[in-house]
Amino acid sequence: MKKTFALLLMCMLILSACGANGGNKNTADTGNAGGNTEAAKEITIWAWDPAFNIAALEVAKAQYTAANPDVKINIVEYAQNDIIQKLNTGLNSGTTKGLPNIVLIEDYRSQGFLQSYKDSFYDLSNSIKGADFADYKSGPTSLDGKQYGIPFDSGVTGLYVRTDYLEQAGYKLSDLQDITWNDYIEIGKKVKDKTGKALITLDPNDLGLIRMMIQSAGSWYLTEDGKTPNIADNAALKEAFEVYKNLTDSNVANVHADWSQFVAALNNGDVASVPTGNWITPSITAAADQSGKWAVAPLPKLAGNDKSVHASNLGGSSWYVMNVDGKETAADFMAKTFGADTEMYQKLLTDIGVIGTFKAAASGEAYGQANEFFGGQKVVSDFAAWTEQIPSVNYGVHTYAIEDILIVEMQNYLNGKAIDKVLSDAQAQAESQIK
Amino acid sequence: MKSANATLHSRRRSGLTGWSFVLISVILIVIFYFYPMVEALILSFQTGTGTNLVFTGLDNYKRLFQDATFITSVKNTFIYLLVQVPVMIVLALFISVLLNDSKLKFKGFFRTAIFLPCVTSLVAYSIVFKYLFAGNGLVNTFLMKLHLISAPIEWITDPFWAKITIIIAITWRWTGYNMIFYLSALQNIDNSIYEAARIDGASATRQFFGITIPLLRPIILFTSITSTIGTLQLFDEVMNITKGGPGNATQTISQYIYNLSFKYSADFGYAATVSYSIVIMIILLSFLQFKVAGEKNG
Repeated sequence: MKKTFALLLMCMLILSACGANGGNKNTADTGNAGGNTEAAKEITIWAWDPAFNIAALEVAKAQYTAANPDVKINIVEYAQNDIIQKLNTGLNSGTTKGLPNIVLIEDYRSQGFLQSYKDSFYDLSNSIKGADFADYKSGPTSLDGKQYGIPFDSGVTGLYVRTDYLEQAGYKLSDLQDITWNDYIEIGKKVKDKTGKALITLDPNDLGLIRMMIQSAGSWYLTEDGKTPNIADNAALKEAFEVYKNLTDSNVANVHADWSQFVAALNNGDVASVPTGNWITPSITAAADQSGKWAVAPLPKLAGNDKSVHASNLGGSSWYVMNVDGKETAADFMAKTFGADTEMYQKLLTDIGVIGTFKAAASGEAYGQANEFFGGQKVVSDFAAWTEQIPSVNYGVHTYAIEDILIVEMQNYLNGKAIDKVLSDAQAQAESQIK
Repeated sequence: MKSANATLHSRRRSGLTGWSFVLISVILIVIFYFYPMVEALILSFQTGTGTNLVFTGLDNYKRLFQDATFITSVKNTFIYLLVQVPVMIVLALFISVLLNDSKLKFKGFFRTAIFLPCVTSLVAYSIVFKYLFAGNGLVNTFLMKLHLISAPIEWITDPFWAKITIIIAITWRWTGYNMIFYLSALQNIDNSIYEAARIDGASATRQFFGITIPLLRPIILFTSITSTIGTLQLFDEVMNITKGGPGNATQTISQYIYNLSFKYSADFGYAATVSYSIVIMIILLSFLQFKVAGEKNG
């Protein structure tokens, strides 16, 4: 009796183990659209942010499936970190099972993926033209002269300002049209004097402000080759560091530790300005009671750098087609929607607030509309104009690794370490760490 | 004779059944533990981003000693270890002795309350702590209202206080867990030993150091080893409360492994090397603890 029972138990164990295996296999299959030929007309797309990227995909999907009813498009939402992990582990394992057909990758990271996993991405040179999109997007989305990415949203930056605070300090929006970061700090001191409000809020763990400044001067953490650290002899970076220290020393900066605190600072009216990417617009307009109190000025430029312009980029991402079964369908979907459809871009803008980087879309009517929240300013056409001026830089493959080194050195600098020593130490560490 | 044979036969059969049970877990452990461990060891001798891996021998291990970020991570981890583990062990010991008092009322309630943090999700409690200790969070407001401090303490954004916040968080989370081990061990100590000590006129302190501590020695060893291993692998709290910041003031080794694999351009070879450095440290520390605390128990 005991033995029978034991045997029975064992059978159950083995069976359930097999059952679990079968279950895994099934879920893996549904995750992988291009598994077999009959499903080749079914594609899977990974992206993050339901209010922005996913919403844009839904619009594109509706457009495309209306004309191509035989294609099934699965849109899967993951957090950006999860996508990075899944892509890295999936591509590294050498099996394409479970990978999507199209994936969204942040521009700062795209070269890392393209170069680390050669041949895993599909060359789109025959489907779209890189020149149709904003020039600065070509660096991150292409490799060895081949176009791999479909440039998506613009990370074009502007200086969002509270006009009511500025007025109390005696400034008008027109005073901010052509200023340097040093002028900006002077304005901040006056604003702080008159209103008691901080000029800006900074996250010590995020050097987005530094990235904006150096890209406005056509410079980056890495040299043109995208691999050699460019820190010690980088004049733009040095000046950006000095501006950053000046901001904290002048006592015009607040500190926040994460995104929700950042948005809270804006919505509570704690700060008079935010230099950042245009994707912040929905978060600012969310505080409906502040309608008419905001405006967008061009980004200040670096005073000591004659290459610096009033335009830069922060964040932004692009679509990539993976080199798996179904790639032709996926490429066709992307080319006919994000790669060609000017009308769709108008819809993306009015419905979701996406400012694309497709050049032809900027002449559409939605781009020229005045925004009442920003006091009737034609915000989007301003952003579109600045997008064209963004200097193109090669983000290379090590942006975040170097930024983590710089974050530490920035703290040392703020605590009194000499700037040249700060940058040469960071250079030395970057050289030893990046292999 | 015949019946003896049958018994032998059935014994062998039941032995076989036993072994088949063991076999399942052995196979699973080999596939899911030992095989990846060997693969990771091989990986740790390779360098390169993504799939462009090449064998570079011991280069990765040499790189460890020049890598300032790795050294800072090790330092941070050891600060947590040296401050947090002793504090937690002493606290757990103290609470368990209090709760073991036979005259105590609502014993079940207190035990549950102190053990409860252990069943909360690591991420969930980390996020709660992050908000409690925010610049304008509950802790600062409370201290300000009591006029204990005049300006808010930068619990998350100051390098020193950020470490304190992490230590408070992990102590809160794991003290109850260790306490349970001590409680169960205390219940195994025969009450007559204490009775005899009392008759001999030993004070409560004397009883604690003369009886409780020596008899709990194996459990203390066990908890300090598991806590050491746990601290060396610390990840969730730091990732969620401070993200390793400000700068890398709270970054742990595990978080550095994560960054090397997923935050930066993936270098799985070097990440595996850093993982193996933890293995080596755990082996050394456990060996040390056995030598210091365990030798009398053989």
